[in-house]
Amino acid sequence: MDLMAILSAVADPLIITTVLACTLYGALVGAMPGLTATMAVALLVPFTYFMDPVQAVAAIVATTTTAIFAGDISGALLKMPGTPASAAYVEDSYALAQNGQPRTTLFVSLFASVVGGVIGVLMLSLASPQLARLATSFSSDEAFWLATLGLSCAVFVGGSSVPRNFASLFIGLAVATVGIDVAVGHPRYTFGLDELYDGISFIPAMIGLFALSELLRNAATGTETRLGRLTVEPIAQALRNAAAEIRRRWASVLRSGTGGTVIGALPGAGADVAAWISYALSRRFSRTPEKFGKGHLEGIVDGGAANNAAVAGAWTPALVFGIPGDSVTAIAIGVLLMKGLTPGPDIFTSDATLVYTLFGAFLLANVLMVITGGLAIAMATQLLRVPRSVLMPLVLMLSMIGGYAIMGSTMAIWIILVLGVVGYAMARAGIPLAPAILGIVLGQVVEDNFMVSMMKAQGDITQFFERDAAAVLGVITLVVWGVLLLRAVLDMFGPRRARGRKET
Amino acid sequence: MNINRDVVTGAALIALAIAMAWNARGFPRIPVMAYGPDLFPNIIATGLVLSGLGILLEARRGTAPEQEDTRPTAWIPFVTLIGIVAAFTIILPWLGFHLSAALAFVVAARLFGGGWPVTIGLAVVAPFALHYVFYSILRVALPWGVLTPLAW
Repeated sequence: MDLMAILSAVADPLIITTVLACTLYGALVGAMPGLTATMAVALLVPFTYFMDPVQAVAAIVATTTTAIFAGDISGALLKMPGTPASAAYVEDSYALAQNGQPRTTLFVSLFASVVGGVIGVLMLSLASPQLARLATSFSSDEAFWLATLGLSCAVFVGGSSVPRNFASLFIGLAVATVGIDVAVGHPRYTFGLDELYDGISFIPAMIGLFALSELLRNAATGTETRLGRLTVEPIAQALRNAAAEIRRRWASVLRSGTGGTVIGALPGAGADVAAWISYALSRRFSRTPEKFGKGHLEGIVDGGAANNAAVAGAWTPALVFGIPGDSVTAIAIGVLLMKGLTPGPDIFTSDATLVYTLFGAFLLANVLMVITGGLAIAMATQLLRVPRSVLMPLVLMLSMIGGYAIMGSTMAIWIILVLGVVGYAMARAGIPLAPAILGIVLGQVVEDNFMVSMMKAQGDITQFFERDAAAVLGVITLVVWGVLLLRAVLDMFGPRRARGRKET
Repeated sequence: MNINRDVVTGAALIALAIAMAWNARGFPRIPVMAYGPDLFPNIIATGLVLSGLGILLEARRGTAPEQEDTRPTAWIPFVTLIGIVAAFTIILPWLGFHLSAALAFVVAARLFGGGWPVTIGLAVVAPFALHYVFYSILRVALPWGVLTPLAW
């Protein structure tokens, strides 16, 4: 990938303004406790509906990049990580903030995020075109297997309980069956409502699952967050300290940036997993592991670099194979599909501008984040004082109009309401949401490709293994399913073990 | 508490699966095609049953993940929020966006603990701001309802 093409793709005032506005938006939403990075994207999506695909992708990328960083702000000041990706090192950042260094801590994590993010983009832009070259010449057989593989990976995205991840995936797939079916054109599960013939619109579904469900949770259990007394050091001093810290730990930043990208690229492992693993590695290699968790900058450097690198890494499988790496890329794939673009190896030739802009927007977002992120840090204490009574009604209204804007009918708001309640119930039942969103996005793709292949093969299911590439993908998919089933069976009938990492 | 939660979850998934599969029996089949519109719903129903059973089994063996949020549900605010969304959806075409949104803001701001000055300020300013963004900039046809004579 040559840099000039990437730079010229984003040297468009419209794209630059979009990225600037979205880094600001991401920084504000990410910083608010209770508003996650995924929610920031969910609320942004209705607006992307009015943009062209290139601008839409730039907006999504810029928003996630900054929202993942900004999650550190409420983590450090309130001990409530704004996004799950900030949870790994929240003990450290909170302890440091209480010790009168909130801004130094946040600038360290900002700089680490920026460098990590840039490493992630560079690796993404180098690796993905190479991978795509391998993956050209795929037909509906391979597309079926890839989508199925993507769905299987969904089971890795979720928490530690395999049945719960499966449940989430199948709930998503069930939602995807609503509407006219591809085989004979029969309306399924439409409850006699004409407006459901086209299926459940992806945007209202997502707003329901990620935004309204969170609002319901806030209403049902939330308490007003209190920002205690905090001594804040001058910005200039914090900047100097943070820059010195990053220079001293440049090797950690490089290691975690690279590692974070690779982890992010694994389908299913997102920014939060990358942060946890890098934090754990950092502690293992540290000369002073005993300081971790009590207010040590080392873990923040590693975790902060890794989670932002993972944001870019997650786009690798999404762009090359159309398999989302995390819930944000799942949403992004949904947006691209809605715009008539199918992510996959062909996108590198058919929509090269889109790909170049994506890389460019990532790079630009990481650079502009120094400014908008810095602004968010400087205003952090004011931001966290915005009362819930203003924030939550605004999010509620944005969710409802956002859905309405897409469908132009109140049916959208009913969908948001139903899926919001479903999402809330799932969260209460310990069922993760990410596999469900993959199910909604990919369910249609799997069924369409299956039916197209079956019509070509006249119902001969062995056709799915006839082509070389399809056979390889098919075997990989079956192996993944086998391993998952085995793991589920072992979990259930094997000796009881302590559960590992807490669900995120 | 946890056992109870998982029993309800498992049962709900299995019930959903039965409803899906039952409904899928009525889907038309074309003789020349090996697979019809009922194939995927049936696969999904099977998957739902299996995961429902898996969750029940986890609960029985005590290997289910801990409840993340153990605070009890406050039902009144929860139901009120659902009510706001439902009511807004119903009144939107009749009252138009400005009035419906203002009403929704009043109830929602009070629900999330806002004082009257904040609530009134929000209900007056926010509908106009949002209307400007969505109607005037993005050209979304937000309904005017009873305010149609005043529409711009």
